[in-house]
Amino acid sequence: MGVLSKKILLGSAMAVAIVAGSAGALMAQNKPVIATVVKISGIPWFDRMETGVKQFQKDNPDVVATQYGPATADAAQQLQIVTDLIAKGVNGLAVVPMDPSVLEGTLKRAMDRGIIVVTHEADNQKNTHADVEAFDNADYGKALNERLAQCMGGKGKWTTFVGSLGSRTHMQWVGAGEANAKMHPEMVLVDPNNESFDDANGTYEKAKEILRKHPDIKGFQTSAGNDVLGVGRAIDEAGLAGKVCLVGTGLPNPSADLLDAGAITAIGFWDPQKAGMAMNAVAKKLIAKEKVEDGANLGVPGYEKVKVTKGPGEGVLIVGNGMVIADKKNYKEFLF
Amino acid sequence: MRTTGGQLVMLVAINVALLVFGAAISGGTFLSPFNLQSMAGQLPEIGFLAIGVMLAMCAGNGGIDLSGIALANLSGVVSAVVIGSFLSSVDQQAAYSLAFIAGALVVGVLGGIFNGLLISRLNITPILCTLGTQMLFTGLAVVVSEGRAVAVGSPDLLSEIGNGLFLGVPISFVIFIAVAGLIAALLKFTPFGLWLMLMGTNPKAAIYAGFPRTKVLIATYATSGLLSGLAGVIIAARNVNVKWDYGTSYLLIAILIAVMAGVRPEGGYGRVVCVVLAAIALQLMSSMLNFGGLSNFVRDFAWGALLLTFLAVGRYNVVGLLTPNKSKKLV
Repeated sequence: MGVLSKKILLGSAMAVAIVAGSAGALMAQNKPVIATVVKISGIPWFDRMETGVKQFQKDNPDVVATQYGPATADAAQQLQIVTDLIAKGVNGLAVVPMDPSVLEGTLKRAMDRGIIVVTHEADNQKNTHADVEAFDNADYGKALNERLAQCMGGKGKWTTFVGSLGSRTHMQWVGAGEANAKMHPEMVLVDPNNESFDDANGTYEKAKEILRKHPDIKGFQTSAGNDVLGVGRAIDEAGLAGKVCLVGTGLPNPSADLLDAGAITAIGFWDPQKAGMAMNAVAKKLIAKEKVEDGANLGVPGYEKVKVTKGPGEGVLIVGNGMVIADKKNYKEFLF
Repeated sequence: MRTTGGQLVMLVAINVALLVFGAAISGGTFLSPFNLQSMAGQLPEIGFLAIGVMLAMCAGNGGIDLSGIALANLSGVVSAVVIGSFLSSVDQQAAYSLAFIAGALVVGVLGGIFNGLLISRLNITPILCTLGTQMLFTGLAVVVSEGRAVAVGSPDLLSEIGNGLFLGVPISFVIFIAVAGLIAALLKFTPFGLWLMLMGTNPKAAIYAGFPRTKVLIATYATSGLLSGLAGVIIAARNVNVKWDYGTSYLLIAILIAVMAGVRPEGGYGRVVCVVLAAIALQLMSSMLNFGGLSNFVRDFAWGALLLTFLAVGRYNVVGLLTPNKSKKLV
């Protein structure tokens, strides 16, 4: 046994030495590499974003753009991907942080190594060169809630769902929603900030619980991309379609049936495809040492005249105007 | 003990194969010093947790520690909140760092002792007990931090642990290897190690032989808790912030590493060196897939395949079958 393991060890050491020796010759990469890292892969929202990254790649053959994402919704897993990509030596990182606070240390290391960092849905991220937002979060939350209030006739019990309590944008949306609901004194917020973890099944179970606990509930405002599906299914199965209002972030294609059934009142969204393209466009500009100035055109629909302000750190905050709120009547215009 | 040497050889071989393969698909960048450092830096947090799981498994009687990552987060969060309330991470960097580390380790050990007490005194099955304490620790961390991330900042000493290099090796990795060495020595050369393994092999015989069962169990889970505390320190040092829901996927990965390392789930056998190698193998594989730009779902698949392979190696003497000379000697 001892002899054998020594043989294997020696053989392996030699193999490593040979490979390591030949390593330098193969490192020929002259196109800038931009890696997009999403919160979780394999869900419709980020699949749509991937189409944007692919489109960007097609339009810009002078860069290499690809998308990565963890298989489980865990900030630690996303962190590992980012760490590995930094080590791989990409030129730009376009990250949609699962949890901005967890990524700060790693993104700082990336920036220290001269990597351009662009984030999305993280306007509190300190260690980033630019954070790209599709719209002003407070405006969006307010618009969602106003649509909900309109459906509820301005009165009744309502509740909110967020992806997780750490999802800053989600908290901003429901926060702005709550602020807006104050203008309708007869709207009563019950059991707010339910965590959905962007899981339609889990959300479905939770929504059923809420419907049992508050049989007289009139409205739901949801945040993560899959929430409307879970809550909508619960409303539909309870036979409450059209009686209970549901307004939340969602994609037109998966929501189509529930919108038609009246279980979902309206969906709000920004097109993740465009957001993916915008992030990559900003990364490309910054890699080329160009500046993104107030009113600049990123060449992406919804981002033709962006608002640029100072971010919470050294970087800038880039805000587009890509908000869409669609209901039964007009969702077909945005099918994706 | 027949197959245990085989496990070590297999692990070394797999690690080497992964290094070679990674180098091949990345055109060599996989073996660049920076990537090796980056991977070594990612390893300790999960490595500490895996050693904790191994210790609990060795104790036998269905021993397992599911509360590892929850306790790591709790120790980071509690320490950051408490220490942050009377020391500043900007003005008193050294004091803050030391106090933070001490605080996290104390919370870790206390959590571990709590597990040990429940399991040894109240005779709660470890899997249920640690599942319960896992939720308790997570809940406590949410309450203490009000569900938000707690900023630790980067005071000198702490940021050195998270980002610094010692002779080109990340300091967190050096700490990990040193602690792993200490635990290995503890298991090999102290009565505690012998008691733990023998008790895991046959709990009943251990009681009749007059082993201090309660003390051994408490010490085992306390050590596992201490390792969680260490993981908490490393997480805080690397990420600048601590958060109650960090690394929820680590729970199963830590168990996967322990099983891959040939730790017997029935108790009584486990080697630290194998756990370290298994952790390295998983790290290499996951980084390699990221390098190759493969989907992370492939990674889950590959890990599953690896796990099953190792279980097969543990059960049937595969290495022996492949190398006739060796199996003759051993039989």
